[in-house]
Amino acid sequence: MESEQFENGDVRGWLPHSPIFAGPDGGPRIGAIGMLVDALGGMRSITAAAPDWAFTADMSLHLLPTGPIERLRADIRVLRRGRRTLVLDAELSTDDGRPAGLALLTFAVVPRPDHLVDIVIDTSPGRRELSRLEDGQIPPTAYHEELDLREVSPGVVTVGLRPEVGNTVGALHGGVHMALIDEAAVSLGRTLIGPTATTTDVHLGFLELAMTGPIRAEAVPVGDPDPGCGRLTAVVQVLDGDGRVCSHATVEVTAS
Amino acid sequence: MTSRPEPSFGSGNLRGIGMSHYLPMPIVEIGDGSAPLPTTRGRFAAPAHVVDADGRLETGMLASLTDSIGGMTSGLSCLPDWIVTTNLSLRRAPDALAGPRGTGDLQIDTRVMRRGRSSVVTRSTVSDGDGHEVATSWLSCAVLTPAGGPPPFTRPVTMNHHEVDDDPLYRLAPERFFALEAGERPGELLLHPAVHLRNPWGILHGGSVAHLLDTAARCVVADRTEPGPTPGIIVSDLVIHYMNPGREGPVVASASILGQRGHDILVRVTAHDRGADDRLMNVAAMTVRVR
Repeated sequence: MESEQFENGDVRGWLPHSPIFAGPDGGPRIGAIGMLVDALGGMRSITAAAPDWAFTADMSLHLLPTGPIERLRADIRVLRRGRRTLVLDAELSTDDGRPAGLALLTFAVVPRPDHLVDIVIDTSPGRRELSRLEDGQIPPTAYHEELDLREVSPGVVTVGLRPEVGNTVGALHGGVHMALIDEAAVSLGRTLIGPTATTTDVHLGFLELAMTGPIRAEAVPVGDPDPGCGRLTAVVQVLDGDGRVCSHATVEVTAS
Repeated sequence: MTSRPEPSFGSGNLRGIGMSHYLPMPIVEIGDGSAPLPTTRGRFAAPAHVVDADGRLETGMLASLTDSIGGMTSGLSCLPDWIVTTNLSLRRAPDALAGPRGTGDLQIDTRVMRRGRSSVVTRSTVSDGDGHEVATSWLSCAVLTPAGGPPPFTRPVTMNHHEVDDDPLYRLAPERFFALEAGERPGELLLHPAVHLRNPWGILHGGSVAHLLDTAARCVVADRTEPGPTPGIIVSDLVIHYMNPGREGPVVASASILGQRGHDILVRVTAHDRGADDRLMNVAAMTVRVR
């Protein structure tokens, strides 16, 4: 992923598309887009919340069909910086300028945590890589396999808590939450509406830090699915190893 | 500038606010009222003048109900502090967008999922008269110390709105009750924040905003400027961020279409308080289903 920070603090980022996170229509899955949006939102929150800190409180993602693309672009801006909350939106577009969706994020503004008081993050204007393969590093396999998301039963998916899926405090990363929710929703959707089930819309609220594994996502339908229209609505909850509900999401799953 | 009176909670049959007379929903708290994370149940007897020809409540007004019961339930977990809504999410079940399912009377079960130092999150499950789950909603609120204190409650709470107010105001069609006015283009609407659309602290009720934004979203899809029913066009899901209160008015909602997926149209809607330096009040994302 790449990002560019502007003088006013706003952030633009790009997700180069890859078959390793493609959905049935050839475009990127919402789990991968969630990682981009969460990362860019986090970057934007640093300058917007300064000198305080900000944690993602909720995120909604609303996707439009793109088909195969080269890159997905996200433009993040601040809608409101209040005393205790920060609201951002992200306009998603394809490399040829077509709308690809919308994201809205709320951050809770808090005093900077002790372990982050001395941390220096480069927020100067300019373009930089967010992630890249190190020399000799083996290219990743399919994104959800790389995260080691495991389907237990239709609608139930687990992930072990390990450094690769953690955030700065060792809890499950917000972007991985989105991938886990996506996988649980699609797992349920494959059973109820067909093999091309794709998560197209998520409203996600973060409740607690998921600090103990294994972490489990459980998707449950809301009402009856509509196989004729290829449409499923579900609630997905993410529970940590102690059974605490760490995030709560509602999702829309469609199938062609 | 509009004056900011002390909060008025009323009493007896006039307890509450205009929204609760227009969309009457008796609410009871489950248990003895001592649970740190309260649960509540609301029963909405759908008045004919607020539902469509099938008997289905518009999604913005359904969100208004989950805002009301979710806000109250959140507030109970915070007493003696109170809350203000910051984010409202709602999805209707796919089988409840058309046909008989999800029409008529509704039951809303709400519980607090998290009560933090500065925020509360509740979840509501909406069922129809046959017990089918027809929508799901969650609500985030910020905890605050309200001017004049919280609303007066006796625990466990029993709020009874069965004694319906006979003021003809509460029998008006939605576009008249909410004082909506056409804007300059399809999807632009104005709301004049009359007293009955405000909450006890004098700011525009979250449910009034939800109806305004829902109507703007449907109107931009229907390519019409006048507010009113849009047969065959329904908001299937919404998320609304409440960033600043509506105080002065008129409140201007502006909806724009971002794109389409089959019968579903993604719409972004904003609301600004024109009388308060055009301050941004809300941003929302909605999916509008066209049958």
